[in-house]
Amino acid sequence: MKRLIYTSILIAALTVLTPVWVAAEDPDFDSILREIDDLANFSESDFSAVYTIISERPGEEREVTQARLFRRDLNDQFLILILQPDVQRGQGYLQVDENVWFYDPESRKFERTTIRENIQNSDAQNADLDQSSFSSDYTVQSWQEGTLGSFDVYVVDLEARSSDVAYDQVRLWIRQDQTIVLKEEDFSVNGRLMRTVLYPRYERVGSKIIPKQVLIVDELNDGERTQLTMTDATIQTIPDSVFSKAYLERVSN
Amino acid sequence: MKTLLKTVLIALRNLNRQKRRTFLLGGAIAFGITIVTLINGFAGSFVENVSENFSNILAGHIFVQGVEKTADGKEQWRIADDDILLEIVAEQEMPVTFVSKRSEFTGALIFQGESIRQTVVGVDWDEERYLRERLVLLDGEFENMLATNDRGERNGIILTETIAEALNVELGERIIARMRTIAGQQNVGEFVLAGVSYDPGLFGQLSAYADLSYVNELLTLQPKQYQTLGIFLTDLGLIDQEADQYFEELSRRVNVFERNTEEEGENPVEALFEQADEETWSGVRYRLFTLNDVLSEVDEIVRLLNGAALVILLVLFVIIMVGITNTFRMIMYERVKEIGTMRALGMQRERVQILFLLEAFLLAMGGVLFGLVVAGIIMLIMSQIFLGLDSAIFILLKNGYFTFAVRPLQVAMNAGIVAGLTILAAFIPSRKAALMPPVDALRA
Repeated sequence: MKRLIYTSILIAALTVLTPVWVAAEDPDFDSILREIDDLANFSESDFSAVYTIISERPGEEREVTQARLFRRDLNDQFLILILQPDVQRGQGYLQVDENVWFYDPESRKFERTTIRENIQNSDAQNADLDQSSFSSDYTVQSWQEGTLGSFDVYVVDLEARSSDVAYDQVRLWIRQDQTIVLKEEDFSVNGRLMRTVLYPRYERVGSKIIPKQVLIVDELNDGERTQLTMTDATIQTIPDSVFSKAYLERVSN
Repeated sequence: MKTLLKTVLIALRNLNRQKRRTFLLGGAIAFGITIVTLINGFAGSFVENVSENFSNILAGHIFVQGVEKTADGKEQWRIADDDILLEIVAEQEMPVTFVSKRSEFTGALIFQGESIRQTVVGVDWDEERYLRERLVLLDGEFENMLATNDRGERNGIILTETIAEALNVELGERIIARMRTIAGQQNVGEFVLAGVSYDPGLFGQLSAYADLSYVNELLTLQPKQYQTLGIFLTDLGLIDQEADQYFEELSRRVNVFERNTEEEGENPVEALFEQADEETWSGVRYRLFTLNDVLSEVDEIVRLLNGAALVILLVLFVIIMVGITNTFRMIMYERVKEIGTMRALGMQRERVQILFLLEAFLLAMGGVLFGLVVAGIIMLIMSQIFLGLDSAIFILLKNGYFTFAVRPLQVAMNAGIVAGLTILAAFIPSRKAALMPPVDALRA
């Protein structure tokens, strides 16, 4: 009888405690990061959109840059074509494999650049418009639960796997109920906060969810901020010829 | 010979007879020669002065950089081990006065809402004493550069007055630097303004100077590593010869970039850097370039200056030639009777012409000599005036003084051109005088 009672208590305890133990298990952040990347990447179709980049600097007038982005994530290709302002119209950034080229129609020359370069005079980088790659570029160092506005979030600290990425350390605020990033803090190699990126609005494009509005706050220079707004997003097939130097030269003339 | 000497004496006497005219014509020639000699003299020292001043800015005459290329094609500049580089300097017994080791980055300097792009050069302040003599500080002291912050970092920075004014920063205030590591990652430096240097504003703004150890730390280089080895030679004239010998030995021992690969009109340093873009390699590959490579365009400026001087000389003398032709025509009419008498006394036509041409030649040579003396005096006076190391044209000066280098061959060429043109100008009037029948001349 005693044994039966002990067994019943043990079963009851296991029944009650197992879900608690399971619930206390760390979230699988590797898969969460992969999911974030998958949601923002277009591996089965092309993607193009127009981005309006508004840069504000203390004591200076707002600068508005408009650029059309063409992306073919399957082949690691992108092309950013500057539409505005008129003086920079026709300039472009072209990525083919590992190489990123900047084209200036005035000099009619291509210069090698990197995905980590800033777009024009803004705080936005080429990488901000390119496919997301948190899962392959970073490892999770630590995490905690928190809230951001009315959302429950995971606050996850990431560290770069190699020096190939612009920021050595990144902190992400990831919604718990939906795997999207609400806020990102980017840190320098020596651990200093350099910029805060806010993602207040997302848009569904095909089966993907990508930021419609991005606010980049420069943490080194008070009052310096950049806002990116995405419009005309589409997953229509882009002709192969777009991802070429010849196309940039042709459309810039 | 005796006849020629006599003709010379007559020519001199004739010139002396019309002192005012001779002085004016000779003065015009002298003026031309003075201007041209001054330009030639300035151009002659231009290369040397600019080279010397640039060698101070760049910290060397011969430069060696270590370049690594990562698997994904990115370049990283780093000299991790300089034993071989310095060994060769010693083995070759190079005439070296100083060796500099520097690292640098270009980034945004930020201060209270203001941001400006600037190259910051890391200098070993304990070793590079000469920079203190060259850099003119308007505010602050070099000793501030040796001070450390609470983390033990020597984070002082010297900005030019232009940059300091643009940032509106004052001594002791904190400046943020947004820059990239050698791998291209974002990093942030925190500097304290230790000094404000004079900005000559010519040939672009000077770099900002910081401590090598802190610049290395920001670039993620190890404390003993650096990016550029600069070798100062005892004499600028030895650069090419020493660089060739050094490169030959260097290429035997380590992997190097080929030199002299530039195409027509291309800067040699640009060509060298393009090689790194186009080629792949593993480990460290060294590139060597010289101050002469960096300043290859300066030779072009000198050629232009000398060309301009020649054009000025020709224009001036075409004007002077017209004057000489008219004057000698006048002289011929004034001396018609004298020519008739000389011809009647048996002087040959050729000698009459030679007499006129000799007068022109002696006038030219007198003008040249006088012009050279005047140019020499002006150069002497100008070279005594100390314009200061903070002069707006410091890059053209030597330690704040004008210097002039006149090549004898150039002077001879200028004198030859002047003599030739003067004789040419006097040729027609002299021929006319020689062909004049003595009877007509005496009757005139």
